[in-house]
Amino acid sequence: MPTMEVDGKQISWEGKKMILQACLDNGVELPHYCYHPGMSIVASCRICLVEIESPDPKDPAKLVRVPKLVPSCQTPAVPGMKVYSKSPKAVANQKAVMEFLLINHPLDCPVCDQAGECYLQDYSFKYGRSESRFDENKAKKPKKDIGKHVVLYSDRCIMCTRCVRFTREISGTGELAVFGRGHKEEIDVFQGKPLDNPLSGNVIDICPVGALLDKDFMFTQRVWFLKTTPSISPFGSGGENILIQHNQGRIYRIKPRFNAEINKWWISDDIRYGWQFVHENRLAELRVADAAHALPMAWEQAEARLEQTLLRSVSERGQGSTLLMLSPFDTTEEMFLAARYIRKVDPQAAIGLNMSRIDGQDQVFTNPTTGQVTYTIRADKSPNRSGAEKMRRHFGDNIVMFNDLASQIASGRYATVVLLADAIGHNDDELAALLSPIANRIVLSSRPSRLTGQATMVLPVCTWAEKSGVYENFEGRVQAFEKAIEPPEPARAAGHVFWNMLGMPGTYSAAQVRQVMADHGLSEYAAVSIPVHHEKVELMEFSPL
Amino acid sequence: MAFSGPVLLKRIPNDPQQRKLLRYADYVATGGYASLKKAWGMPAEDIIKLVVDSGLRGRGGAGFPCGTKWTFLPKESFPRYLAVNFDESEPGTFKDRYLSDYDPHVLLEGIAIAGYANKISTSYIYIRGEYHKQAKILEEALLEAYANGIFGQKHPGTDIVHNCYVHRGAGAYICGEETGLLESLEGKRGWPRIKPPFPAVAGAFAKPTIINNVETLACLPYILEHGAAWFKSMGTPSSAGPKLFGVSGHVNRPGVYEDELGIKMSTLIDKYCGGVKGKYRAAIPGGVSMGILGTDQFDAQLDFDIGRKYNVLGLGTAGVIVMNDQTDLVVMLRNIVRFFAHESCGQCTPCREGTAWMHKMLSRIVAGYGTAKDFDLLLEVGLSMGSMPGTTICGLADGANWAVKTFLQKFPEDFKKRLKRDVVPGVTLTPAGAAV
Ligand SMILES: Cc1cc2nc3c(=O)[nH]c(=O)nc-3n(C[C@H](O)[C@H](O)[C@H](O)COP(=O)(O)O)c2cc1C
Ligand code: SF4
Ligand code: SF4
Ligand code: FES
Repeated sequence: MPTMEVDGKQISWEGKKMILQACLDNGVELPHYCYHPGMSIVASCRICLVEIESPDPKDPAKLVRVPKLVPSCQTPAVPGMKVYSKSPKAVANQKAVMEFLLINHPLDCPVCDQAGECYLQDYSFKYGRSESRFDENKAKKPKKDIGKHVVLYSDRCIMCTRCVRFTREISGTGELAVFGRGHKEEIDVFQGKPLDNPLSGNVIDICPVGALLDKDFMFTQRVWFLKTTPSISPFGSGGENILIQHNQGRIYRIKPRFNAEINKWWISDDIRYGWQFVHENRLAELRVADAAHALPMAWEQAEARLEQTLLRSVSERGQGSTLLMLSPFDTTEEMFLAARYIRKVDPQAAIGLNMSRIDGQDQVFTNPTTGQVTYTIRADKSPNRSGAEKMRRHFGDNIVMFNDLASQIASGRYATVVLLADAIGHNDDELAALLSPIANRIVLSSRPSRLTGQATMVLPVCTWAEKSGVYENFEGRVQAFEKAIEPPEPARAAGHVFWNMLGMPGTYSAAQVRQVMADHGLSEYAAVSIPVHHEKVELMEFSPL
Repeated sequence: MAFSGPVLLKRIPNDPQQRKLLRYADYVATGGYASLKKAWGMPAEDIIKLVVDSGLRGRGGAGFPCGTKWTFLPKESFPRYLAVNFDESEPGTFKDRYLSDYDPHVLLEGIAIAGYANKISTSYIYIRGEYHKQAKILEEALLEAYANGIFGQKHPGTDIVHNCYVHRGAGAYICGEETGLLESLEGKRGWPRIKPPFPAVAGAFAKPTIINNVETLACLPYILEHGAAWFKSMGTPSSAGPKLFGVSGHVNRPGVYEDELGIKMSTLIDKYCGGVKGKYRAAIPGGVSMGILGTDQFDAQLDFDIGRKYNVLGLGTAGVIVMNDQTDLVVMLRNIVRFFAHESCGQCTPCREGTAWMHKMLSRIVAGYGTAKDFDLLLEVGLSMGSMPGTTICGLADGANWAVKTFLQKFPEDFKKRLKRDVVPGVTLTPAGAAV
């Protein structure tokens, strides 16, 4: 592997890399604004400039000092090169660029959402000067509503053009452009054509400053109060890697988590803004509807009652009279435990699987210039279809296909159905009608619906944010996620319920379940790793000038 | 050094009354297109060699050797384009306009020769938006040239058909910067490109492209006609040939004049312009990007070594602006910096923010509110920008850098006497002594 020296430190890289990218890959932080690894290089912000000594092409042993500063984002790393980002010239440029970016900046950090995760703040601290030498009037630029999810504070914009490049190169929709020239230029949308595409929220993430802000998140939290939990998107079969950011049991926003093979740096707006259901309209109690009255109860009672019901039903109507309905929204662990439990009480129990919501076709985004696929929004809206199919195969016989359910139910075969409801519920009404002839209808759900309304027993369970487990995306990639927030009382993870019912030893955890699964011939689950999220904690140093 | 009479201006009489637009027939009658015919009889490589040997350097501002630039085209990579830089927006520069006002065919002949030598498929004349009349003249001349088989035909001995179009800009200085020009030509914002790739490898529409100034190309018919040695007999060893000088400011007869490179500025002004109006104080050698020549530099030799010898950026466009001792240099610099602030394309942080900041500072100083610390700050901001220190993408910022730097260094007292006042907190200062 080729190596070079950056500020006295040896770093290596593979293939063709620019100096900046090679440094970032090695954990060597060089300041940068306009550079984004997912988009074209424009080298216009000029904060990343470094001094270099490059091997003489004629005599590689000899290093030649390049007299100019060079943009590290746009200058290829060459073996044997020496890079200086802390030399007096480089530092003077960092200070100059920071000063230029701040002379017209409104310095309204106290009311800016970006404060705390702003590269202007971070770099000011690290590379800037402490006093202002600007005695002139600041330029004033307007705040603009540019789209469904995004507000632009033009006066905070540093014209890095990342957002413009995003709409040109990633979403391919081109809504954003630079208008005006020189110091008068501003980012804007064309008249009557707002920023409106299924990936629009990403521009908020890539804006290094507080210029593009999220209407949904606006003024709800200071970012330093947010805790971050790595997770997997529950809004489709893509398996997009995300971060759930939350505080005191409430989600405030979802951000993409980089995964080179799946979603890269991006997520769709469906994923970003889909989490509201977690905090809306949750089931407040465990409930059994007896003939005449509804009865709230505690988990111990409910679990006992559930078992009673099932045992009685099997003894009265015989084996095979129980139907377990799984959902491709459940984690694989939950499906495994539910199926094991049901087969324990009724070894002939049928196992069915709810349909996925399919929205048209996969929506594929390409870079109009290169034709490269940049992002795909999957038509299949369930996060764990692959896991569900795998569990169906694992539990082998007596599997019912969704299309056969109606006739089987009509034949009066089932006395009891245990249903794990979708987190979102695209076909609640249809399912409710389908299952209504079955006498005992036990529904585990996170929210009220027609299904829970007509259930004989309702058990409130967690949403994905409140539990851990694995989802398996459209290509069968098994990805674990962690619980981000506590569920609202009295909800419990469905997996936890069946863990208890099975009388498993020890505390319930998804990782434990995966060990059990591995012991039951599902060895692939033994080594599923949980993503670790590193909060960016940097020790700030002042660069000497 | 031997300059025995106008070359580029040989068809344009000095007397304004007698100047007239030369049509195709007039041009041919005075020997026009004979060089093209001659070129067509030569191998393309020989023409390139001839241009290299002539020592012809670019007349657009940077002075890059023309023939050498042509040799950067990758072998066997087609199609190739020629972009003719007729953006001519540098303040004080009006030589290309003058040439095409009267003698448009010399440019077309130059394009045809360069086209043949470099196997160009399409030539675009990128003309400044404000040049309505000149665009029309060129359009008409092009029609004549097409009708007479200059364009729209295969280059002799090849299958490459050469077409030529006039493309009108929209009035931005930055579209004269060669890669800004290419972006604009492609229908994009005129934002200069980062290099590599260089235009010779991936220029217009990502194809190999040569960019040459109007005057550079207009030299070609004469080089073909008279040879490299003749061309080199004019000028200095590093700066060969005749040159158009557009002189404006405090001279008695401003205008476009031709002489050889290396002529002293004082000679140029006395010989052609009827001398300085009043007492010479300072001059700008070639467009406001080049910085300023001092009072003791009246005899500066106007050639491509001027930068090194007289502490300016370079010869630039040779659009000389002369200033007498009545000129307010602070206001002059304010106007120059206002131009750069207005014309900065806005990509690079130092240029976008720095030019606007310096403009605000200078406007304040002009208004009488300058403070002592402004001098150093202005200089520091000016010095921080440009492609030569490496802090910006293109040379526009170098122009601002050199203007500010040389004005402050060569005429510090003009500024310092405006910066006497210190800010007194709580007291509103009225602009005093400000000659706006
Ligand atoms: C800001 C800027 C503006 C320029 N404007 C012009 C122009 O108007 N006309 C021109 O011929 N060259 C202009 N140039 C120089 C061109 O970039 C380029 O060097 C020239 O067109 C090359 O042609 P030449 O080699 O024949 O001179 C400009 C350069 C800069 C940096
Ligand atoms: S709005 Fe943000 S991302 Fe877009 S150019 Fe401005 S600073 Fe960059
Ligand atoms: S130096 Fe100025 S004009 Fe040139 S590219 Fe940068 S911002 Fe644009
Ligand atoms: S990150 Fe290199 S110039 Fe912006």
